[in-house]
Amino acid sequence: MADDRLSNQVRRLRFENGEMTQQQLADRAGVTRQTIIAIEAGKYAPSLPLAFRIAHAFGVSIDDVFRYEDTDLKPGR
Amino acid sequence: MNRTQKSAWSNLAVAALYIPVIVWALVRLFVLKSIPEGLERFWPVPVFIIFAVTSIVLMRRKQSPVEVESDERDRLIKYRAVVACFVSVWILLAAATLIPSIVVGVKGSIPIWLLTFINVGVLLITLLVYSVAVLVQYGWGAKDGR
Repeated sequence: MADDRLSNQVRRLRFENGEMTQQQLADRAGVTRQTIIAIEAGKYAPSLPLAFRIAHAFGVSIDDVFRYEDTDLKPGR
Repeated sequence: MNRTQKSAWSNLAVAALYIPVIVWALVRLFVLKSIPEGLERFWPVPVFIIFAVTSIVLMRRKQSPVEVESDERDRLIKYRAVVACFVSVWILLAAATLIPSIVVGVKGSIPIWLLTFINVGVLLITLLVYSVAVLVQYGWGAKDGR
């Protein structure tokens, strides 16, 4: 469920968005608060639709919330 | 704690209560060589039904009318727990088939009521596996909820 290569800025974005609570973010993204806690802690890698919903909840792009760092991954042209 | 976790704890409690009963019944039959008589044979069944119905009623109560009850992570956790259950069912069925034939011999016989105990035992151990798999994935409810 967790992916060490995936990092996120959910906690920082919550505080930058008027100290949004985990419950408020969960309600906006349509998930449980436990899932937000697990994502923040890096214990759960969300699906692509959920990652988009979280990004939309903050009004930012998905890249601003989640970052995937894979040294083996070669950039496309 | 969400509904899945509550349900897992409830299953764990049922299994913890009934597995000793089944183990005792097997010890009594095979070690002490005595067969329970009358109501002693059947009391676990109504108690189990009462416990199960109570649990289902309690589990159906929503924590909050607006809060999401389950999401993709819950579904993934349940799916993995079901896979663990499925594997355990096969192992238990193999054990339930082999152990009686080893204990009483290939041409031996066992009372019909013992089959009920074996079936309920398989069910309870499966429930136990499911519950533990769910709770382990949630971090036993505490760590994940902080």
